[in-house]
Amino acid sequence: MIVFDNVSFEYTAVNADGITEYKNGINGLDLTVRDGEFVVLTGSSGCGKTTVTRLINGLIPHYYSGKLEGSVTIDGKSVPDTPIYETAKKVGSVFQDPRSQFFNVNTTDEIAFAAENRCIPPERIKSLIDSTAAEMQLAHLLDRSIFGLSGGEKQLVACAGINVLSPDIIVLDEPSSNLDSGAVEKLKAVLGAWKSQGKTIIIAEHRLYFLRDLADRMLIFENGRVVRELDSAAVSALSYAETDSLGIRPMSLSDIPQCSRLNNRRAEVISFENFCFTYKDGKHGINIPKLELPAGGIVAVIGKNGAGKSTLARNICGLEKKCRGVMTLDGKPLNAKQRLNNCYMIMQDVNHQLFTESVRDEVMLSMTDKTVTDDVKSAKADEILLQLDLARFADTHPMALSGGQKQRTAIASGIASDKSVIIFDEPTSGLDLAHMKQVAAEITKLHEMGKTILIVTHDLEFIMACCDHVLMLEQGSVVRNYPLTAETSGMLKSFFMNA
Amino acid sequence: MQVGFQGNTKNTVFDPDPRAKLAMLLAVNIIMISGGSAGVELVLRIICAALPFVLLVSVRHYRTAVIYLAAMGAAVFGESCILPHTSGIAGILVLIPCGILTRFMAGYMMCWYTVRSISVSEFVTAMEKMHVPYFITIPMSVMFRYFPTLGEEYHAVSDAMKMRQIGRTVKDPLTYIEYVLVPIMMSTVRIADELSAASLTKGLSAGGRRTHICEIKLTLADLFIIAGSAVMIVLFFVY
Repeated sequence: MIVFDNVSFEYTAVNADGITEYKNGINGLDLTVRDGEFVVLTGSSGCGKTTVTRLINGLIPHYYSGKLEGSVTIDGKSVPDTPIYETAKKVGSVFQDPRSQFFNVNTTDEIAFAAENRCIPPERIKSLIDSTAAEMQLAHLLDRSIFGLSGGEKQLVACAGINVLSPDIIVLDEPSSNLDSGAVEKLKAVLGAWKSQGKTIIIAEHRLYFLRDLADRMLIFENGRVVRELDSAAVSALSYAETDSLGIRPMSLSDIPQCSRLNNRRAEVISFENFCFTYKDGKHGINIPKLELPAGGIVAVIGKNGAGKSTLARNICGLEKKCRGVMTLDGKPLNAKQRLNNCYMIMQDVNHQLFTESVRDEVMLSMTDKTVTDDVKSAKADEILLQLDLARFADTHPMALSGGQKQRTAIASGIASDKSVIIFDEPTSGLDLAHMKQVAAEITKLHEMGKTILIVTHDLEFIMACCDHVLMLEQGSVVRNYPLTAETSGMLKSFFMNA
Repeated sequence: MQVGFQGNTKNTVFDPDPRAKLAMLLAVNIIMISGGSAGVELVLRIICAALPFVLLVSVRHYRTAVIYLAAMGAAVFGESCILPHTSGIAGILVLIPCGILTRFMAGYMMCWYTVRSISVSEFVTAMEKMHVPYFITIPMSVMFRYFPTLGEEYHAVSDAMKMRQIGRTVKDPLTYIEYVLVPIMMSTVRIADELSAASLTKGLSAGGRRTHICEIKLTLADLFIIAGSAVMIVLFFVY
């Protein structure tokens, strides 16, 4: 049993002026989790749900420091007063970003890692790995380099590492953020198996539909407090309208409505010819001899992990020099090098594309026309920042912004560069409802400016909120290419639901 | 091609013990950096120059091995056949690149081979068997584990720069370096932070002796390699 008794926590952070601040924790939380219970924590970003998971696995206060009050106990033992390696024997943890939770490069070594730290004899670990691999059907993932795995496969390996030790309590912090719908189903199966083994599971998530049948209880957080508590019957009865008013993601994919958008479609198309590209491994790539997309449209690019979505995006941007494909835009044929001047990509991790010391400089950096003076550029930059609700941050360092603000800064740079095709790579992975809607609104703005937008995404709700065209890839080829209307939305949903 | 601790051992023909690899690394680096080329030293240098080639072939990196051999051959040829016939600036132009190649390339390739062919857990196990304390082993293994991550981050950043045509507009090399380093550092700091947290929840700090599923054992061949490396280093210093 896990008991939180009037727990408050605030993180210590040093602000830009070097002053210590306390922020973003939880506030007077009372919570009792029974053995074998499956508890879902949800709510907007920064609401305190991740803090709860860290208090259970002991990372607070042993790794993240701050001001802690009240008591957290597991089976009567105080977590803050127990060394973290003792807590680790009882509590297994899965994290959001598969890139940063592996100590080893080899998957088998990684699965064995926690067991090795517990000093279990090697023969015993090996037999545990074998039985876990059989149980979770991941023999094909053993003895591989983690750098060659997809996000979903990495998350399975992380779960396998926990399964080997079989702790009583498992906490997961947004494990589905980077997964496609097929991988989410696999994660759901793993969680279901753990639940049936009687494990206590606490999961912090934005994406909720896959937890509907599993949750015994759902807590909705706001500003560090629980504002709503729902039992399993109430959770599965939640309709789309109810989740929407609660500010959380839907509990079911089937009842997501399509936003009625004006289909002010232009007649022109952007055509792609001979987009064939193979990576060095000879296996992955794309093979698209001919493709037409609506100019000025908002195109969702969907498909499973490894279907070639990101590869297509990179090729359209001109990042793969070897691609011979030609894109015809406004009657002008463009090769890879020319496409670099016409396309702009907002990357999944926007940290990679912010270079300067202030948001305004960042936007001005994209204006490469040498005939324009800096004053004119600066004025134009401020205008763009105003449109994207960033004017307040014009002089702020981009790295001091929140995730959403960074993304908007990258979008502002895209607008400043005057490129007509803008590509988004997973813009809503790990976003709560409010932020997802905000991104949808920004994309609609870009659409109104006449940009053509391609969005690589796994987020059905987001597609329904802003896209007007769907391109589906499978094994590097286009299998579907259709306008998104009331009639075709069923086809789109069936892709996500039958994964 | 990915740098860093390797992911699996499937492609290896001959896989010496990590300790034997470290001994060879030491011998090659010590012997090749000095420039002597007479008598015993010449023999030692030829052996050390050939070692990386043999080892690269053993892990099936044929292309790298051939390029290494060709570059080494060219540098040796330049140093011994072209250099005596040149003087002045031309001599310096031959001497500097050839000298750097013959002195450092073998050591560099040995490093590359060693880092690439030892897995993280083999490294931790080997260090423990040599009684190196954890506070040295763990940070070192995390550092090596980091190389491929750095590579991934660098590629993403350089793509972003291409897309924004940075590099063409930035003439000042310092600004260019800043543009590359700042995003990489920001994201690696975050990854390192999360990696440490994840390792803690897996009980890394527990103390006591960890167990290891990877088996490393010194075979006769490994002992021979270690003894051979030691003999070469001794010979090198005596003569």
